[in-house]
Amino acid sequence: MRRLDIALGLVLAILAAAFPFLVNAYWLHVMIIGMMSAIMAASWALLAGYAGQFSFGHMAFVAIGGYTAALLATDAGLPLPLGMLAGVIASAVFGGIIGWTCLRMSGPYLAIFTMAFSEVLRIVIVTEVEVTGGAGGITVPQLFHAQTDFPYYYLILALLIVSVGGMMLVVASRWGLFFRAIRENEQAAAAAGVKVTRFRIIAFAIASSLAGLAGAFYAPYIGILTPDVASQDQMGLVVAMAIVGGMESLPGAVAGAIAVEFLVEALRSYGQWRLVLFGALLLFTMRFARNGLITPGWLRLRGLVGLGAARLAREAAD
Amino acid sequence: MLDYILIQAANGLVIGVLFALIATGLTIIFSILKIVNFAHGEIYMMGGYFGYYVITLLGVPPFPAVLVAMAITFLFSVGLERGLLTPLYSPRIERKADYGILITFGLSVFLRNIAIILFGPFPLRPPSFIEGDLIIGGLIISYDRLVAAGGGILLLGALIYFLNRTVWGQALNAVSQSRESASIVGINSERMYMLAFGLGGALAGGAGALIAPIYSLSPSMGLVPDTQAFVIVILGGLGSVSGTIIAALLLGLSENLFIALLPDPSRGPSYANAFGLFIMMLVLLVRPTGIFGRQHVAME
Repeated sequence: MRRLDIALGLVLAILAAAFPFLVNAYWLHVMIIGMMSAIMAASWALLAGYAGQFSFGHMAFVAIGGYTAALLATDAGLPLPLGMLAGVIASAVFGGIIGWTCLRMSGPYLAIFTMAFSEVLRIVIVTEVEVTGGAGGITVPQLFHAQTDFPYYYLILALLIVSVGGMMLVVASRWGLFFRAIRENEQAAAAAGVKVTRFRIIAFAIASSLAGLAGAFYAPYIGILTPDVASQDQMGLVVAMAIVGGMESLPGAVAGAIAVEFLVEALRSYGQWRLVLFGALLLFTMRFARNGLITPGWLRLRGLVGLGAARLAREAAD
Repeated sequence: MLDYILIQAANGLVIGVLFALIATGLTIIFSILKIVNFAHGEIYMMGGYFGYYVITLLGVPPFPAVLVAMAITFLFSVGLERGLLTPLYSPRIERKADYGILITFGLSVFLRNIAIILFGPFPLRPPSFIEGDLIIGGLIISYDRLVAAGGGILLLGALIYFLNRTVWGQALNAVSQSRESASIVGINSERMYMLAFGLGGALAGGAGALIAPIYSLSPSMGLVPDTQAFVIVILGGLGSVSGTIIAALLLGLSENLFIALLPDPSRGPSYANAFGLFIMMLVLLVRPTGIFGRQHVAME
């Protein structure tokens, strides 16, 4: 079983490294957006799936990261990479503050509070036209001056591996255990010695900083940043990605995000039907397959392959 | 200026009554099913469209059309409850509150986007209840707004009568206080869940049908009332109908006065929504059970 995982990981790594050479510019773009969404979906899965904090304000941190990077690079004249770093830090700080403010809330109260925070932020961005460019958006300089999207692809690949790898390390460590303990029962976790306050804030700060990272990448890659990134429909798409992949599995959320993003593009000619379909997919997954579609599917596939391998080995031995 | 403030105040009270209809629906669903319905604004939107098509396709006059729209929304909501929410009552599911949040959030995305396909992205406007405006001195208010407020007050009165004076209402109250005790005295709680979700939906649908001639109908019209209803329900205290009505009137009034009094008129309308949300965030921080909250209707 373990050998199978390693083999598959190797194949995936080679595929990921060679991907830009295998597809045309359009699907490369889709893959880049998919990997960026994967960072959003996986960090949301860390916050909601592992730590049990149902935030509907995740896209607000994407906007904070993106707008901080964009405004520092254009108005303040800072180099873009520094602006992006500042965006990540700003998201982490705001995430920590929001995590601290809603310490007394849980469940739907937290969901409503974060949704309200996200809407207020979006309304402020739309209204303060002089600073943010309003609903029309803000133009962001390019990060690379290349003919193709290759540099962006390898950058987002590296960011995805580092952020998801980092989150998986966190989840596998004692911190991950604390997160899950808080999710299951806050009082019991506190009684068992988990510093609930500290770890709720940490969960928010980690997840928000990664959302900000995705936003800081998105702004220069697309070249124009609009308040739509913080809309509830975008939030719905990210939630659908995490849930389809399996909310309690970070690789599942990554796979879910990339799969959903490719589906979105494949269905582009169906226009408005796409979001309906994802709404329906979200409802179906929640109603009938609460562990997501991809994680259980993957486990079953792996089980079948493992079984097949075992039978082959037995027959060879006979 | 004074006339303008007076008009805004009158408009605020009208909108407050309609907010109250939407928000009492949300609070009834919350107190019985123990979930926050994130798709409530979208059900309000569907109610508005049901009313529109009942008038334009079936030729029903506008006044009875509101009642027909409410009946359709009731059945629609019961269908949604049967299809999506039954896992909430089964003991096999862990973390029911999370399930409620995600399934209703998914439903809101689904309904908002399927409405664009079914009804088109462009605003639709049903015929007025009564054409024209009422003018008393400097106060100008359209008859449609008066009808909407009057209809809303009638519906709220009927609701309060239903909840306090009928067997069904008392059964609902019993379930909201304790599901176990309610089943011991022979109340079928599954039926109460259906009734509560249908009733909550019908109230939102009625508000949608009443508001349609004032603001036009559009698929995204549920987004703002959705958050407004949360503001109101949290201000009024989750589970408290009278608190909800008071909070709705206060919010409608203060939002419209806020628009009137903000020194920068170009930002007024767009910050009006943020104003309500900001107040809600403050209330959540300072007093999470709301101002008129009932202790026993806390989250599980």
